[in-house]
Amino acid sequence: MLKIGEEERGLSPFELAEPRSLREALALLGADGVRPLSGGTALMLMMKAGVLRPTRLVNLRRLGIDQIERGNGGELRVGAMTTLRALEKSPLLKEWPVIARTLRTLSNVRVRNVATVGGHLAHGDPHMDLPPLLSALGATVTIAGPKGERTTPVEALYAGYLETTLARNELITQLLVPAMGARRAAYLKCTTRSADDWPALGVAVVLDGRKTSIVVSAATDRPTRLASVEAAEGLRIESDLHGSAQYKKQLLRVYLARAIHEARHASH
Amino acid sequence: MRRAIQFRLNGASVEAQVAPHETLVEVLREEFGLFGARESCGQGLCGCCTVLVDGTAVSGCLYLAALAEGAHVQTVEGAAELDAVQEAFIERAAFQCGFCTPGFVLMTRQLLDEHPDPSEDEIRHYLSGNLCRCAAYPEIIEAVKLAARKRRQS
Repeated sequence: MLKIGEEERGLSPFELAEPRSLREALALLGADGVRPLSGGTALMLMMKAGVLRPTRLVNLRRLGIDQIERGNGGELRVGAMTTLRALEKSPLLKEWPVIARTLRTLSNVRVRNVATVGGHLAHGDPHMDLPPLLSALGATVTIAGPKGERTTPVEALYAGYLETTLARNELITQLLVPAMGARRAAYLKCTTRSADDWPALGVAVVLDGRKTSIVVSAATDRPTRLASVEAAEGLRIESDLHGSAQYKKQLLRVYLARAIHEARHASH
Repeated sequence: MRRAIQFRLNGASVEAQVAPHETLVEVLREEFGLFGARESCGQGLCGCCTVLVDGTAVSGCLYLAALAEGAHVQTVEGAAELDAVQEAFIERAAFQCGFCTPGFVLMTRQLLDEHPDPSEDEIRHYLSGNLCRCAAYPEIIEAVKLAARKRRQS
């Protein structure tokens, strides 16, 4: 164990299960103290901080759900165990350049090398970059559970700060992003400390003809859709370490305008 | 709870007894006496614990050692001689205390594998997850550019 002063920085002991199939993994989940482990970059932080003290982790790395492909309807299909870096480098993202641009500034290369798409979506921290963008793009996830599969919009995954609508014995298995078609999109964030820090604000804008989708994150307890540009003024904004509510409200005015401008001038 | 795992470490086959909750950087330091990777921020932000697992840079402080089973783990101690990146860091004096340097060296190698002639913007983006508290950043960026030239010439 590493020690700095008297502070214990190591992890509390736990068991590690290594299922070889999705069915086996699902059967291991559900009990108290059991958590799935995908990339682990976020989970390890929560365990180090003592927020989570699981007695058993179920390692999902051997499930083989890490393919990236284009579906028959032109949609992007991403296996949940795909690393963020593998997605970022996928040639298929030429058709979804806004996702590639967003991934390039998501945390840092080392974290993206390990963190997975499924873990990113299942974590529920409102400061994450893909949930607002994928919500605005109308993406869905396939979720496997003991009773079979269900599909839900990414937007419906979040119930509150670090709270998702996933049951304990469910796993996200695949992400589906509809074809861009003529849509144009942008995601902008403002980090107030270092470039790779969690954002104080994230704004995703998708323009589809006369229809505009706007989803705000980091300033709210979960990714939140704005019914209109004007609705930004009435949004309930949370203060956190990255900025006060008052500051974020001003950031939102500035960044929403910038994001709309960038989306209007984007090739996709 | 401990079990034996086998993996390759800097080219050699090795075995270690690890518990599931032990991180890779802990095992490298305590079982193998390799101190190049060191835990600093403990959150994957500073890059001091960078190691390569099957050629991919990871934060050793967020990576369970048990998951390295069967993989090839490389640390800054791996090479017998200094490579172009290490030479460039010395020639450009791209450090003061040197605590962060192993992480910068490993990340720079991976950067140059992907982008043999990186722009300054690419260098800054790629190394944004490596912190140098002595703030040798201008020299580090010059060292990366020099390393890229050295690599292209050799």
